Amino acid sequence: MTPTPDDPLQSPQDSDSETTLDVAKGRHSKPGRSPLSSITSLPYRRSNASLSQLFQSTTSLPTAAGPSSESGTVTPTAAPPNGLVFSPGSTGSARPASPAVPGANLSGETKDLILRAFAPHVSVLASQDTEELIRHKGISGGLLELLRPFGEHVQGKVTIRDSSGASRSWDDFAVRFMGVKDGLESPRMADRRSMESNTDSAQYGAKRLSALEFKPARLRSGGDVPQIEELVERHLTFAEEQSGPVEADYLTYNMESLDRDPGSDSPFYMLYLRRLLSGIPLVPSETISHPVATVIAISSRSPNPIEELRTLYASSNTGEHRVPPWVLNEFLRYYVLIHDEDYDDISKSMALYDQMKRHFGLHCHLLRLRSTQCVPSDDDSVKLPHTEWMSAAEELTEIVRRETSEDDEDPTPCVFESDANAIRSFVREMVTQSLIPSMERASAQWNDQVASRRRGISGRFMSLSKRFTTFGGRSSSGPSLGGAGSNYDSVQGYYKPDAPEAIMRRLADHAMMLRDFKLAQGTYEILCQDFKNDKAWRYYAGANEMAAVSTLLAAGGLSSKARTETVDQYLEAAYYSYVTRANAPYNALRTLVLGSELLKLRGGSALDDSARWLSKIIDDRLVGPTGYALLLERSAICYSERQGVAGLSAGERKRKAAFWHTLAAEAWSKQDKSSQAENCLRAAARLYKSGGANLEFGNMQNFLASLQATVKANRAGPQHLDIGDDEQTLVEPMQEQDHQFGPHSPIGHRKSISTNAAYFPQVNTSFDPLGAVPNAYGGPPADALNPQAAAGGLPSPGLERRQTRDDGFE
Amino acid sequence: MSYYFTIIGTKDNPLFEHEFGTSKPGGDGTAKFREEAAHMNQFIVHAALDMVEEVQWGTKDLYLKKVDTFQNNHIHTFITGGNVKFMLLMNPDPSATPYSNLASPPPSSRSSTARQSMLLANNPSSSQTEDAVRGFVTEVYEAWVKCIMNPFYDVNQEVTSPIFRARVAAAAKRFL
Repeated sequence: MTPTPDDPLQSPQDSDSETTLDVAKGRHSKPGRSPLSSITSLPYRRSNASLSQLFQSTTSLPTAAGPSSESGTVTPTAAPPNGLVFSPGSTGSARPASPAVPGANLSGETKDLILRAFAPHVSVLASQDTEELIRHKGISGGLLELLRPFGEHVQGKVTIRDSSGASRSWDDFAVRFMGVKDGLESPRMADRRSMESNTDSAQYGAKRLSALEFKPARLRSGGDVPQIEELVERHLTFAEEQSGPVEADYLTYNMESLDRDPGSDSPFYMLYLRRLLSGIPLVPSETISHPVATVIAISSRSPNPIEELRTLYASSNTGEHRVPPWVLNEFLRYYVLIHDEDYDDISKSMALYDQMKRHFGLHCHLLRLRSTQCVPSDDDSVKLPHTEWMSAAEELTEIVRRETSEDDEDPTPCVFESDANAIRSFVREMVTQSLIPSMERASAQWNDQVASRRRGISGRFMSLSKRFTTFGGRSSSGPSLGGAGSNYDSVQGYYKPDAPEAIMRRLADHAMMLRDFKLAQGTYEILCQDFKNDKAWRYYAGANEMAAVSTLLAAGGLSSKARTETVDQYLEAAYYSYVTRANAPYNALRTLVLGSELLKLRGGSALDDSARWLSKIIDDRLVGPTGYALLLERSAICYSERQGVAGLSAGERKRKAAFWHTLAAEAWSKQDKSSQAENCLRAAARLYKSGGANLEFGNMQNFLASLQATVKANRAGPQHLDIGDDEQTLVEPMQEQDHQFGPHSPIGHRKSISTNAAYFPQVNTSFDPLGAVPNAYGGPPADALNPQAAAGGLPSPGLERRQTRDDGFE
Repeated sequence: MSYYFTIIGTKDNPLFEHEFGTSKPGGDGTAKFREEAAHMNQFIVHAALDMVEEVQWGTKDLYLKKVDTFQNNHIHTFITGGNVKFMLLMNPDPSATPYSNLASPPPSSRSSTARQSMLLANNPSSSQTEDAVRGFVTEVYEAWVKCIMNPFYDVNQEVTSPIFRARVAAAAKRFL
């Protein structure tokens, strides 16, 4: 188990949340104040291979490993030799072939990500002895942890029939395995204490074990924006530290590799997006994260397996693992018998399995696993793949655990190749033979019984009659506390799972998961109206959000008029209801981010809309500092993707893109992320120059120049932590000077151009006895904006590093 | 209520800059921009040129009305026959503009009093505002034409004439 699942979320985060804003001042003088200050006492923290591997693997996941590491934004060469989890060979077969194409179809990547965010959820319920067996294998999280990574890539193609009967195959179908209680609690600390004491006394009694299991379930639920911020900020900080040592080469090497293609997605933004869509909380108003199936697992060790199955089924149905009252309980149960290859008799298990088959029919599986622990040195060992869709809290916990762990070894557990293959084929069989057919059947049934009645003229009439007469044909569905004829229970705030509205919502969500966007769109559309009549605002917001998403995913060509009429309205309604009526900032953020991403994929004038929604997020402060900078950068990318009309420059948004890049650069530099700031600044400079004309506005020039100087001065960045005292004494006088000049600078305490010019030569000479520096290195392209800083300021950081390296730092 | 008026030449170069406040009742005619507006206004106006280049083909008028918005800054544009742009940035309450400052609270949209809601910049696309700006830019255009008829004036040369500045200020006082 995680040793200290609690500390991670408080200790390091507190320290940097307050210090991120004072940039140039505090860093060098206070070595203890690193963002990760809680652990600076550990001498080799940064070279902890397992940690860097974790960062590396998650940040480079969304993109193919190739382009992101070439682009120099993520931990380029400083990775440990065994760095990539997904190095080809280890889990090659589990990955789709797409990463082979570097940088191809970048925009499709976001779409893939969004599609995969709406994966069916499958809860996992295992018997006590099964969990023991899996723990014995060295996987502390039990069966769930073993299954999760394999659910993210169902092997091979998965064919789904849509509502019109047409089949379509998908390469990247996934299911999300989850705990039975996942997503119900907020992942925050404060809530936990009270909740735990409650549940301890009331429900779980004195069982310590269930309290233990309680925590991972809490961590696995996402939907907490500050945690996502914190996580991405950690990744950024790490990348910042890692980019240090590379820069020595980086001045002498060609700059091309560092110039990120302006249209490319920032890996950190993709991480942000992924975490935003991971661990969607379990709420009444949307059924995306409601389980569509439960895996009930027993092991061959059990003395009384059938009885065991019965108990588990009962506990999932009515007992302590029951779903909340607003979740439909009639989902698929899938029974798995885990056979211990090493110790148990296969013939006995086969007999048991036959018996299970007789009882439960098709929906069972015999999973043959070895129970001995696998160590990396074993012949056929493979690393357990990294879970991509983990929630922010979970990953944060993992990061802190690795940071605090003393040993340098990679704690990722290993499994035997044979086990991995067995699980893969299990997942595939479950998905293709049980899960998809049962979802298809359920959708068809709901569609026939409920939704199709609501379409067409008679359906309209029914909804009218429902509203204006007391006997709308639906009074049978239990006592309603809402308005007359409404199924909405406004006191508890949900629809019963068998109310027609709830069924339709589930139908639409199933259609989303099965990627039948036309059906989803039509259903959401009807739902919007219904929920509005019932004043079920959270449901209303959710339906509008999904209506926008499904419209954008479904329609091929969407005229700009139709777009503003439908999509904008949906988004606006969803956003407004989430913010003002439901008070759900996470959902509001998710709505707008999804909307703007999908609009961005459409290109053309939709890019303006996309940027407009992004700027709405920014203006309304739905995000923290990290998200702020990421979204500014994203808007810039939206604008720079805009093409001119007929080869002319009219219709392009280069100036706007440059402006937003500049804003992003400023935001990054305020947060001490100089390599990000540098990227943005370089992009801005390129765009400002691309018009052919020079930038003639004086104040703009000055601002860019001073920003550039600041970024350059800070470029040395966090690696000063490790460098000796001589560095610090040298930097200190500069800071004092800073304070004197501070008020004049356009960005607060930052150095203005004049101070820069004033002190940099002096620093240079102390480092450069030959006086050859300014000519030795040509400035990077961005410098053209800023001749003074290029001549004076630039070379020093690189040179400092050189010198300290010669000092025997390595 | 503050205004930033700039004339931009054909190469995106500023030819003339002028900041002023409203002279309507309640205003003293001076701009109340914050410190960072010195560069932010330029950035905003420069970014709005993208929109001007698009909007200018969609209308036969020289006055393009409101072309762009950034936070609570709204930009109206008038384009002359010589592709010189008059950009007027109006900001109802500069102290509420966050610019790039993340820490400042989100602008509360309904904080303005009844008196302020009468101000032109609070309704940047109302016909009242458009009429006022149209009057302003037309008068400036007249002064501009007279100014560039000066034989010693070259295209895209910065305008330093104090008389021109005084005329702009007078027009501002009259209309805005």
